[in-house]
Parts: sequence; structure tokens; C-alpha cells
Amino acid sequence: MTDIEIAQQQEIERLRARVAQLEQELVEQAERSSRVVAEAQERLYWLDRWHVDLNELMRKPGAAEFRWMVRAVRGVLRRIKKLKRKLTGAS
Amino acid sequence: MSRVTAVIPVKDGERYLEELLSAVRREQVDELLVIDSGSRDRSVAIARAAGATVIEIPPAEFGHGRTRNLGAERAGGELIWFLTQDATPVEGSLAAYRAVFSDERIGVAYGPHLPRPETSPMIARELSEFFDGFAAPGGGVAVQHRGDPTFLSNVNACYRRACWEQVHFRDLPYSEDQAFGRDALAAGWLKAYVPEAAVLHAHDYGPLEFMRRYFDEYRGLRVTQGHVEAVRPLEMALWVGSRTKADLRWMSEQGLPLGERLRWTARATVHHGGRRVFAALGSRAERIPAPLRRQLSLERRDDAPQAVALPDAAPALPPAVRVPARRGQEDYEDAARVLRDGPAPLLDPIPGMADRERLRIAMIVPPWRRGSGGHNTLFQLMSRLERRGHVCSIWVTDLYGEFKSFWPGVLRRQVNEWFAPFDGPVHYGFGDWAGADVVLATGWQTVHPTLLLEGVRARAYVVNDHEPEFFPTSTESRLADDTYRHGLHCIAASPWLRDLLIDRYGASADAFQLGVDHELYRPLDVVRRDDTVVYYARHSTDRRAVPIGLMALEELHRRRPDTRIVLFGTDRPPLTSFPYDNLGILSPAQLGTLYNEATVGLCLSLTNFSLMPKEMLACGLPCVELAGVSAESIFGPDGPLELAPLEPQALAAAIERLLDDRAEWERRSRQGIEFVASHTWDVATDEVEAGIRHALAEREQTAAQR
Repeated sequence: MTDIEIAQQQEIERLRARVAQLEQELVEQAERSSRVVAEAQERLYWLDRWHVDLNELMRKPGAAEFRWMVRAVRGVLRRIKKLKRKLTGAS
Repeated sequence: MSRVTAVIPVKDGERYLEELLSAVRREQVDELLVIDSGSRDRSVAIARAAGATVIEIPPAEFGHGRTRNLGAERAGGELIWFLTQDATPVEGSLAAYRAVFSDERIGVAYGPHLPRPETSPMIARELSEFFDGFAAPGGGVAVQHRGDPTFLSNVNACYRRACWEQVHFRDLPYSEDQAFGRDALAAGWLKAYVPEAAVLHAHDYGPLEFMRRYFDEYRGLRVTQGHVEAVRPLEMALWVGSRTKADLRWMSEQGLPLGERLRWTARATVHHGGRRVFAALGSRAERIPAPLRRQLSLERRDDAPQAVALPDAAPALPPAVRVPARRGQEDYEDAARVLRDGPAPLLDPIPGMADRERLRIAMIVPPWRRGSGGHNTLFQLMSRLERRGHVCSIWVTDLYGEFKSFWPGVLRRQVNEWFAPFDGPVHYGFGDWAGADVVLATGWQTVHPTLLLEGVRARAYVVNDHEPEFFPTSTESRLADDTYRHGLHCIAASPWLRDLLIDRYGASADAFQLGVDHELYRPLDVVRRDDTVVYYARHSTDRRAVPIGLMALEELHRRRPDTRIVLFGTDRPPLTSFPYDNLGILSPAQLGTLYNEATVGLCLSLTNFSLMPKEMLACGLPCVELAGVSAESIFGPDGPLELAPLEPQALAAAIERLLDDRAEWERRSRQGIEFVASHTWDVATDEVEAGIRHALAEREQTAAQR
């Protein structure tokens, strides 16, 4: 085998190893993606079952106002609790 | 701009004629022709005063088609606008017609008839609704082609001279316009409905005059269209009721006072009822004596439909029903794409990929039902492939939209709860498709969509059965047959099926043995009866040969009336000539109990061997199956299964042998348990994984040969 042929053979081996490594990375990436999607599907089960798309829902007229109202109510409740704690001396 | 001649046939039409001619002049026609057929009122004088050219003909010479042909011959315009003596054009009518005729393909156009203020509500409503139906979406001009509605009305219609010269009016006593509409479309002309080209038009007849008019109209329709009005009293009563209700609604919308509404409701009922009766009489006028015909006719004519000979009396077609597009695509578009363009190209193989430890495996499945045996096989395999480290995903292809209401989270949960644990994602459709090392088609419906997927190194086909046999000769049987001819490496669910795929289709194929869940199907601590035959009688699945099975049980019952026969697998118990106990559809655990309690099992398959006999054997229950199909390829000719030909007496004899011969029963039971012990889902997964690697290796070999 000539030096050139040996060099070519080594280059082929090196490229094959690189391909195998990239393939391995691809499998790992696919595994991660699959896991993320599967976990999301598991988490969304009840929303999916009830056909609720929260993004779609929050785009509807009044949704932002409703959210604002809930936040306001929660803010008032928090303040009341805080005041109650102050008055009763509870931690 | 095209010259327009207005042609108006007249007889005793003074009531609206002056108003009409004045409106026609306002529309700026170039020529005005009035053809009078014996008026005894002021019609001729009014026409002359309005500057019209009057052609007078004897009343006997009048014919709706004939007289209009005469008018068209005498007209000098390129457009000929026919109006009746009681149709007053609204402003802009002629301009609307002129605009439409700028399209040279249009031979004839017509416009709506608007109700005059004094028009009765039923006629006003009908006119409005009737003409609204012709308008294009949005209410604009509608161009009608061959196959579209042929309706045309000479109350208000405009003709291109070239079209009239080619088609001419037929010499008919009535409905010459309808015939022209049909003939013009057949000759390749287009017809247009022009909503802006309206006329005020009233038929303010009394109730009886209306009926007589309908008699004439339907006598004409019989001649031109062959229409015979159906006489079905109940349907007629319902029709009259629905029309009267529509009139009431319309009157309410128009704001008529209550008293008016009540008065017109009574009149409307009489009107619609009379219309149906006189329509039926008119379309059967030939059966009525001539003097009576004359009395029933508003025009006092006594002619009968069959007396009129049509120039080319082709059978009339029924009115076409326009069906709008309701689906995004047809069922088998993917198959059509594959047949037309071929499969998507595969990615180049990578040396050594068949031996790689971890593969990206995507399985394409059709929609499932709870308890589906085929899907259980597929998901048991995928569950185990995933546990071996492969990156697995499931993709649902839903040809008929059965799963369109299920979102992916629900599908994934169903796979886990109904079939086997699966950690990977479940996708609906291929919107998120990102490629795979191997894509596995499963049912026949999945193969063509699979062939179109890109970013794939190899394709394989898990074949559970020979599916073309599931269908009579049909699109489905042909497409199922086609699935074996695209070079997918087949992984068949029995050696029999593998051999069939190789012999009949020249496919490359491996086989796997269906696994048994030995946790569920095993000898249990249940007292086994010695008089019970259990039969899987799923008659909705044709390949189960249920009629033969029932005849076998009928024969068994005749021979042994005391033997208890139990049917399961169907929630619709079949009607039989023998008594039996029906258990309906059972859960896997309940099946395990049943197989442990029964004496003999009967389960038939006309195609590939199914899992059920194996599950019976795993419980120690000897089972009778069909000889000469697929069972021998798994068990051999004298294995644990009792095989019998597809003949009721032979099947009954085989069951009886197992019931009578205790030693034989013991031998079959013992052999069955031993034989099936090695048939596990893990072994099946080994075989399927080998098949998948074989598919990849074949790709490498093919590439190496190139």
C-alpha cells in the first residue's frame, strides 16, 4: 500500500468516525426533542381532552381584561392577608 | 355600443303598457317593437303613441315561441330585449344588460322580477327567494354554463342576435324560454343572471285564476321538460304547510299588520294547495277531456302535452342539485400522488447503520379503537423497542378524519392506558415530521402517506394480515394490494404471511411470531368445566367465518344438546338456530378467566393466524382452527391446535373429539402451554428489530451495488 493510499484510508476512517459521531449526536438530539414533546403532551392532557388552547383563549376579546381583574383581586387579597398578619402579629 | 331592440308581445295589455313603454324609452333602447295579437282594448293606440313599431297578427297565429321568433326576425338590434306586457323595467336595467354582453360568450341574459306593491305576499316572497337563488355569492352577476340551471324567463330576458340565430325559439305553446335556456347552454353559449336588470312584474290574479295559470304552466313544463308533478298527499300537505309558514315569516319581516297577515295566511294556504293540485292536473292534461282542459286553462287552450312534437325530444334530465365543496381533499390523495409521482427519495444509507445500537424509529399507524388487536401488537412492539434504547415516535395518519376531535395529548394517553406503556410522543398528522432512520408503515392505509415522508433512510412495513382480502373488489382492495409493490421491507406476522408476500408480490420479507402476555394468559386457579365450548363470534369481521362457525355449533348442538355453547367478542348477539350464552366483549383479564373455565375453544380465521388461539392455548384451553390457511405455518399439521377444514360437520367433529377424548384433550392442553411459552412479546420484538435492521442493511447493499 502506498503512502497516498494509506493516507486516503486514514482519511476515510476519520470521516467514518466523524459521521458516526454526528449520527450519535442526531439520535441524542432526537431523543431530547421527543422527550420534550412527550412531556408537553403529558402535561397538556386535560387541556387537549377539553380542546382548550390557552393561547387562542387569551386572544379572545375580554380575556386580557379578565386576567387583569383576577390579578387585581389577587392583589387586594394579598394586601388583606398582609394587613391581617400585621394586626394579629402572625408571621 | 350594441344596438338594442325591445320586443313586447301584447294582447289586451293596456293596464301597464303605457308605464312599461315609457320605462323602456327611458332605458334608451334603439328600437321598440310591439306585436299585437288581437287586442280589443287601447293597447295598439298606446304603443303607437309611444313611438313603437306595431306588428299586428291574428290571435290564432300567436304562439309564445313562434311570435317571439317573428319579433327577433323583424328586430334590427344586435341585442333583443324581450319583455311581457306587464313587466316594467326598473332604472338601469338595460345598462346592466349591456355591461354583461361585453362578454362575447354570453348568448342570453335574464333579470329578476320584482313584486309590485299590490302583489300578494306569497308571490312576492316566492319571486324574491326564487331569483335570489340565481345570484352569485355576494349577489352579483352569475354566469351559467352547461350543467347549471337552465332557467330563463321571457318576462325579462335579453338575447344576443347571434345566439338567437343559432338556437331559435321552439314553436311551443308555452315555456319556450325554458327550452331556449336549455338549448343555448347545450349549444355552448353562456347564460347570465343579472340582478340589476330587474322588472316590476305582477300576476295579481284571483285564487282561481292563479290555479288555472299553474295548470297552463305545468302543461308547458310537461312539454318542454317532461316534468310530471308527483301526487303524494302527505308530502303535498307538508309542502303547503311549509310554504304557508314561510309566507307568514316573510309577512312578519315586511311588517304587515296582524289582520293582514291572518287574511293572507288563509289565502296562502288555498293558493299553495291549489297550485299543487293544478300543477298535477296540468302535467297530466292529456288524461283530461278537451272541454274540461279548456275550462281549467287560463288561456282557454284545450291542447294536450303529447300533441306537441319536440324537434329533438331527448329525455329531460332531472334538475341538478348543486353540492358545494365540503372537504379539503379526497380520501386517497396520498395514494394518487404516489401512483403519479412515485415515493419520496430516501436518504443515502450510512455504512454500518444497520448495526447501530440506537435507531430513530417512527411508526405510522391508522386510528385505533379500544381493544384493537392489531394496534395492541404494534404498540407492544414499540413499547419494547423504546425500552431497548431506540428513539421511537408514533404518527397517526387519519384518512377518514376519525380522530380529528382527538388532540395529541389524548392520543398519547390512550396508547398508554389501552395498549402498552410508551414514553415517546404521539403525533396526529405529519406537521412536525423531522425524519427518521426507519419509518414503519403498519395498516394498508398508512403505506402511501409513509412513502411520501422525506428525511428517511429506510422504510419497512409491519404486516399484520393480507389486507386486500378484507375488501370486495374496490378502490380499497386495489390500494391495499398496491402497498406491497413499493419495495418496503415487510415484517410479517407469521411465516405464512411472509411466504405469501414473497411469492405473490416478490416482496423482501421477514416474519415474527405474535407474542402472548403470559401475565394475563396462563393457567389460573379456576375450576374448568367439561361441557363448555367458547366461540369468538365477531360477525362484524368477515374473515372470522362466523356463518361457518355458527353452522358447526348448530351441528354440535344437534349431536350434543347438553353441551354449553358460549359466544363472545360481539355486543350484538347473532340470531341462531341453537341456544347459547353470550358474554359480549370481554376485557383481557376476563378472557383469561373464560379460557381457564372452558373446555374447548373455537376461533376461525380465513386469512392470517390471529393471537386469540395462542392466548387460549396459553391458558391450557385446546382450540379448533381452520386447516389449510395459516395455522400450520406456526404449529405444524399436528401441533397443539386441532385443525379442521372449512366445513361445519368437520369442525363440529373436531370439537366433539376434544370433548369426548380426555387423553387427547390432555395432550393438546399440555402441548399448547409448552408451545406458546416461548411466544412472548420480547421474542416478537427481537424478530421485528431484526427485520428493521434487515431493511437498513438492504439499503446499504443496494447502495453498495450501485
